[in-house]
Amino acid sequence: MLEIRNLDVAYGYAKVLHDVSIDIEKGQMAFFIGRNGAGKTTLLKTIIGLLKPQKGSIAYQGKEISGLSPEELYRQGLRYVAQEKKVFGNLTVQENIEIAAFASGAPMDISIDRLTSIYPKIKNFLKTKAGQLSGGQRQILLVGRALVGDPKLLLIDEPTQGLAAIVIEEIVNILTGLKDRVSAVIVEQNLAMVNLLADRIYILKEGKVAREIINKSEISDTKELEEYL
Amino acid sequence: MPYTIFYGLTIGAILYFISIGLSLTFGTMRVINFAHTITYTIGVYILITLVIFFKWPFLLGAVLAILAIIPIGYVIERFIIRRLYGESLDYTFIATFAVALIGVDAIKWIWGPRPYPLSDPIAKYLMFWDLSLPIYRVIIVATAILLFFALNIFFKKTIVGKIVVAALEDKDGVRCLGINVDKYFSIVFIIGSALAALGGVLYAPISSIHPYMGLAILLLCFAVVIVGGMGNLKGTFLSAFALGMVMALTARYWPQGAETMVFIVMAIVLIFRPIDI
Amino acid sequence: MDEDKAYSNKLIELPAELRNPPIKEHGAIEVLAIAAFFLLITPLLAVHRVTDFMIFCIFAMSFDLLYGYMGRLSFGQMLYLGTGAYCCGLFIKYISGNPLLAILVGISCAGLLAMLLGFIVVRATGACFALINLAFNHIGFFLVLSPLRKITRGEDGFGVIASKLGFLNFGSRPIMFGFTLLCLLLVYYFLRRLTSSPYGILIRSIKEDETRVRFLGYNTFLYKWLTFVLAGSIAGFAGSLTALNYNYVNPNAMDVHSNVGVVFACLIGGAGHLYGALVGGVVYMVISNFLPIYIYRWEMFLGFSLLIIVFRFRMGVWGYIQRFWEYKLIPRFMKKEAI
Repeated sequence: MLEIRNLDVAYGYAKVLHDVSIDIEKGQMAFFIGRNGAGKTTLLKTIIGLLKPQKGSIAYQGKEISGLSPEELYRQGLRYVAQEKKVFGNLTVQENIEIAAFASGAPMDISIDRLTSIYPKIKNFLKTKAGQLSGGQRQILLVGRALVGDPKLLLIDEPTQGLAAIVIEEIVNILTGLKDRVSAVIVEQNLAMVNLLADRIYILKEGKVAREIINKSEISDTKELEEYL
Repeated sequence: MPYTIFYGLTIGAILYFISIGLSLTFGTMRVINFAHTITYTIGVYILITLVIFFKWPFLLGAVLAILAIIPIGYVIERFIIRRLYGESLDYTFIATFAVALIGVDAIKWIWGPRPYPLSDPIAKYLMFWDLSLPIYRVIIVATAILLFFALNIFFKKTIVGKIVVAALEDKDGVRCLGINVDKYFSIVFIIGSALAALGGVLYAPISSIHPYMGLAILLLCFAVVIVGGMGNLKGTFLSAFALGMVMALTARYWPQGAETMVFIVMAIVLIFRPIDI
Repeated sequence: MDEDKAYSNKLIELPAELRNPPIKEHGAIEVLAIAAFFLLITPLLAVHRVTDFMIFCIFAMSFDLLYGYMGRLSFGQMLYLGTGAYCCGLFIKYISGNPLLAILVGISCAGLLAMLLGFIVVRATGACFALINLAFNHIGFFLVLSPLRKITRGEDGFGVIASKLGFLNFGSRPIMFGFTLLCLLLVYYFLRRLTSSPYGILIRSIKEDETRVRFLGYNTFLYKWLTFVLAGSIAGFAGSLTALNYNYVNPNAMDVHSNVGVVFACLIGGAGHLYGALVGGVVYMVISNFLPIYIYRWEMFLGFSLLIIVFRFRMGVWGYIQRFWEYKLIPRFMKKEAI
């Protein structure tokens, strides 16, 4: 479903990704892991169109998408959740969903249901300003926003970063529930979660793909992955 | 004294009309638009052309002048402002200043450099307690207050308004939800330009009309926006009226110092609350 | 155009020695070249015009120090030129006709003012910095126009006649020309040495990334302040020369609108390379003095040129020469991957 070939991405003259090639099949949940600065966030941002590659191609469902803008890719079903966990703080939770529903044309009640189905407790917060939510609640809101409309591929950057253990459990549950409904590419440092959920793992090191794990059975436990972090 | 306060409110209202556009353009597009008051000036000149040369009634001329600004605002946004997204501030300053320069010269070319006189279209007074207030100025202040509430409703209740509020905070987030933010920012820019023209048109009968009038008031508007906070509508409303009062009060005791006092206030605010742009 | 942006935003900074075409760093040859240039154009234009040009170039260099090297755009540098002009003029008028002393007074007063205001102003960045300087310029203009009218004669201004000092008679045009040329070369040489020194590299680093410089342990505030004071003093120097050149001082010396000229000059010449300020200064002076004669709508022309420069011609004349040099000198660098 997503094929990346020989991707080079640079900031100015500083190259961050070198000759990256990735394959993701439909319905899979793939994880990118690696040290800070390895280029994982850059890779996600390039896929969603916030950055333009210097070289290489990105094909989605057979069609070339590199160079397209995030707005256009949204219509094709790509959804991006950034690392910074920024919500529209001045708007209520409900209004956040309203904005998400605007471009997709999805009706509001279905869109709200998507959000409450992954996290029923959020019903009490619909009228609260999103800026007042906790970190975990924001993350859930962001996932809920991404699920509005007809999402086909989720790109999520470090969903459990900075969250308490109990909240991480919730997120893992949510992602488990999504596992066969949408394809996803997730950047993570939490190896337990990776081990639990991943269909495919890409280990990035200094801007290159250090290892591609297509079959979970390839690795015995997380110890092997830890080497790369 | 009450007259001073009332005149302060009038100036404040005019500053408010013009500063909204400046504040929004900065908040949304991070562009400091030196050319903002060119639509203010052009609006006024169109008004006087219609009223003085074609002898149209004031209200009709005013409405048409404001409507005429819409395409002009669109052209400026499309060809200049849009290219300045993400640019360093120095260049946006200089590019928009260049537009202002061209605009002023174009006005001088078409209408000549002489000032035009325009008189109060409603030369009547309202009796308020024992003050006789010119109705025209009352209308200006009332319109400003109405506008404040209208804008509040726009940004809080309409979907376009909410998109703009969201984009002010997280532009990429809105883009990744499939919405072409630039289109809405253009709309905001055009609204801002039209409002500036409204301010100009309302102010014309009680001020002097000459090609440089835009530049003269622009600096004051910068002061309003800086004191009130860029992109902060409530702040702009309050600071416009506050600085209007400063001007009126200063003018009472020290006529030439009115504008300077505004800048002193701005400098003080900047010292204690420097904006990081 | 994107290439231009990438170039000016580039993360890897070339060492100073490689950036400039290899003209001798100690500048003696540069100084001679500049002197030769101005002497050559004098027969083409009148002596007093070239004197005007040179004074403007000194002012442009002070602006370039702030904008090109430190990265701070000020819309109020005329304040310091005006201060220099007024203090120099007032000194001659009320205290002593000694022109050299008066110039020193002009420079010192401008520098002092820059010291006082700079302490507050230098904390600001970007638009904040530009506007706060604009505000102070406006206030200064108002002050000399109105409250201090008794001393400054307000709108009318006052005459400045310096007394003769040996053979230095500033009333004579050739003497004024020669003296101004000397001052220009002096200022240029001083700034060239300064900007090539570690201080200069530090200032430029502050422009690129101030936080990082602070993490290296430098007190960036001090350096910014110092640069501001230097720029103000040099502007004051230009102001003093203005007073002596025209034998007259009036509020136009502090006119806020004149800031446009120096901004334009540095842009068209290329900010951040002192040559740029000189080239741009001359170009702007030529344009503003001669263009109105041939093109009635010269302000519109200026506006369009500014737009073209901003959108297409970002680096100015000298910037393009420099980039061309780098392409020739280190062609491999452009193809190589970073780090």
